[in-house]
Amino acid sequence: MSDPGVPPSPARRTVPFRGGGFAPQSRSWISWATLVVVLGAWQGAVSGGLVSPIFLPSPWTILLALKSLIVSGELWRHLAASLSRIGLGWALGTMAGIVVGVMMGLFTSFRSGGIPMVSALYPIPKIALLPLFILWFGIGETPKIVTIGFGVFFATVIATFTGVDGVPRSLIRMGQSFGMPMFGIVRKILLPGALPGILAGFRISASTALLLVVSAEMVGAQLGIGSFVLSAGNLMQTDQLLAGVAVLSVLGLMIGLLLSRLEKWLLRWR
Amino acid sequence: MKARWWAACAAVVALLAAGHAQAADKIKIGVLKLVSSGPIFIAQEKGYFAAEGLDAELVYFEAAQPISVAAVSGDIDVGITGLTAGFYNLAGKGALKIVAAQSREEKGYHLNAYLASPAAYEAGLKSFKDFRGKSVAITQTGSTFHYSLGLLAEKYKFPLSENRLVALQSLPNMVSALKGNQVEALVIPATIAVPMIERGEAKLLGWVGDETPWQLGASFATPKTIAERRTLVTRYVSAYRKAAKDFYEAFLQMGPDGNPKNGPEAGALLAILSKFTGQTAENIRPGIPFVDPEARLLVDDIYHQVEWYQSQGLVDKAVEAKAIVDLSFVSGHFNVPK
Amino acid sequence: MELSAEGIGHSFGALEVLDGIDFRVAAGEILAVIGPSGCGKSTLLSILGGLLQPDKGRAALDGAPPADSLNPLTFVFQDFALLPWRTVRGNVELALEHHRLSGPERRERVEAALAAIGLAEFKDVYPKQLSGGMRQRVGIARALVVRPAILLMDEPLSALDAQTRELLMEDFLDLWLDAKVSAVYVTHNLTEALRLADRILVLSRRPGRIKEMVRVPIPQRERTSLAAQAELAALSDTLWQSIKREAQVADREMTDV
Repeated sequence: MSDPGVPPSPARRTVPFRGGGFAPQSRSWISWATLVVVLGAWQGAVSGGLVSPIFLPSPWTILLALKSLIVSGELWRHLAASLSRIGLGWALGTMAGIVVGVMMGLFTSFRSGGIPMVSALYPIPKIALLPLFILWFGIGETPKIVTIGFGVFFATVIATFTGVDGVPRSLIRMGQSFGMPMFGIVRKILLPGALPGILAGFRISASTALLLVVSAEMVGAQLGIGSFVLSAGNLMQTDQLLAGVAVLSVLGLMIGLLLSRLEKWLLRWR
Repeated sequence: MKARWWAACAAVVALLAAGHAQAADKIKIGVLKLVSSGPIFIAQEKGYFAAEGLDAELVYFEAAQPISVAAVSGDIDVGITGLTAGFYNLAGKGALKIVAAQSREEKGYHLNAYLASPAAYEAGLKSFKDFRGKSVAITQTGSTFHYSLGLLAEKYKFPLSENRLVALQSLPNMVSALKGNQVEALVIPATIAVPMIERGEAKLLGWVGDETPWQLGASFATPKTIAERRTLVTRYVSAYRKAAKDFYEAFLQMGPDGNPKNGPEAGALLAILSKFTGQTAENIRPGIPFVDPEARLLVDDIYHQVEWYQSQGLVDKAVEAKAIVDLSFVSGHFNVPK
Repeated sequence: MELSAEGIGHSFGALEVLDGIDFRVAAGEILAVIGPSGCGKSTLLSILGGLLQPDKGRAALDGAPPADSLNPLTFVFQDFALLPWRTVRGNVELALEHHRLSGPERRERVEAALAAIGLAEFKDVYPKQLSGGMRQRVGIARALVVRPAILLMDEPLSALDAQTRELLMEDFLDLWLDAKVSAVYVTHNLTEALRLADRILVLSRRPGRIKEMVRVPIPQRERTSLAAQAELAALSDTLWQSIKREAQVADREMTDV
């Protein structure tokens, strides 16, 4: 039974459309096109003499520098050294950060003591502490891992502790109401509940680790992508410098991609 | 009465002349606040730049590298600082030319010291003959410290590749590493070395100047500045040399005891250096570097620096030493290769 | 097993929420607690279930729970309190994991609980894929799997729409009457109370005190008949009059805060 409605009249008009927009999407071809346009403009500006190659080497010369790094095998030795430092520093900082973050999320004493400590220590530039770090930890691998670990630790503590705080109290009461033991509640409710926050923290801490690898390798590093970038800067080898920076960027992208995968898999229930 | 009238006339003429004379040319000079740039401070304070018709502005930097970069970018007209591999890489791209000398390592003048940690000393690092294979802290690869070690290795015939050179970026980091026995030796300026030796924190192995004299620093400008504003550079060098002569006569003449003796002007110049560097006169005096009174370069050493850095893979093979020095501003440079 | 409230009183800081609550839930009895918002119904339930320490009085138990009961006092929550990262089966299993049960026994219990409430085909589904009604069924299954002696239900249907509520209410009733579980059922909905409860406890507005204790004189199975409907409507009206003013004042109180 359809409504017969009103017969068409000259004054009848369509309701004007007011919706739409506010829904940006990611299109990969636009991402690539942007990259190509930026690199093309850059190359053009240098080749065309608009920008002196002394100030900004062209993408092509950077690519050549990168190629020679790959061919000589130097890149892999630098990457291996840096990745082992980043990996170890990140893993240690993350584990310690999660433990302390959970404690701060659980216990009044840890929370009251921890928050001012974290606020006071997090913003300290680690470079300012380098002379002390050398006295405490020497100039071997330890200070490099510690430098990275420290940065990662604070970022993780904050993420974990906010994540734990964000777990609905009703879930914890539910666990208690079934007589679950403390440890069971932490393992089965608190940690999985805080996982989205902790994983978001991973993104920050992984970038922090990449940032800190340059500072970490300021001290007595013969190998490592950070020390390579530093020494290229000292030697005014700007093409090498930017090649090293490009490697760091690609590393950042890849770690980001890896984390997205991990997030998708671990948080598939969302 | 007549005399007074003439005097008044002369004063008016002088005033008019001053008014008509072109305003002094501006020149920006990039320096570190270190005693090795002492003649610059003296020339500024005693009006030698002004006498050359230069309105000199000193632009202070915290590290050597940015001075070369600032010269290339045109933020300063002339730079004066230590020569590093980074400098040669930049100069080699046709961006900079050396025009006059700054300080140099010279026999009898204590600018940079080789120190051993007490532990390494006890363990047998007592002279340069024991230097083979030892770990040494430096600031950066391609720094003046690095080159000094290169010369030392050539002199004592030990392969530098067997030494572990630890780049620690800053002098405090290096001191920390030696104190913590993380390295066995280091090269460090006298101002830091002397107090460490006195406190027993390190043992002196020798002075760079006594072992291997070399051209530590220089004044430089871009080829463009040299070509287009040649008189600016000429007048700069001329004022610098005047001050360098003062500096030499006040601090650098050898006394009968084999140590540099103070000249009559020493006190006054120390006060100037103290004012510009922010260090006390007592701290400055023991570490006063050798500065050639005529700003002459050890030209063969500059050639050697380039070759040595190239042999270490730190300077691009395409860099040609000949192309990065302009010897026309100073006469009588030393050891000019044919 | 019987549960009693003995002179329970409680305050949150300066705010007194409960005062002098005394009652007793007999074995197999369903007691509904109704009252205006903010009268401390949920607080009372938390105290009864041992999740909150009362300032005054105590919650007490008489008699032993059935031998196979793993968690005699078991809650069903208004917001379901399901773990979103566990499947339906995982959520039900959670209640058993810290008890010593053999693998097969545990599995058997879970299967039985899921089947009883009609969730058998949804075992491997995550909560976000379920409707509100189905989610609360998971909550019920999780409560039943531990074989409770007394269910403590905190407005279990108030987050659901009216149709779902009706359906679920009938299922509840069947399960209950079969299992002979007693229950304290907190609600602000008179219809639910009149449909499910043996007795109805009316709380006053804050601080919550016992205002009335009303017995519903008709067995649950017969309450859907027309004759019963009329009698229940009269009872409902009396109860409504009793709480109406309180509710009005309480409502204003809330908006004043």
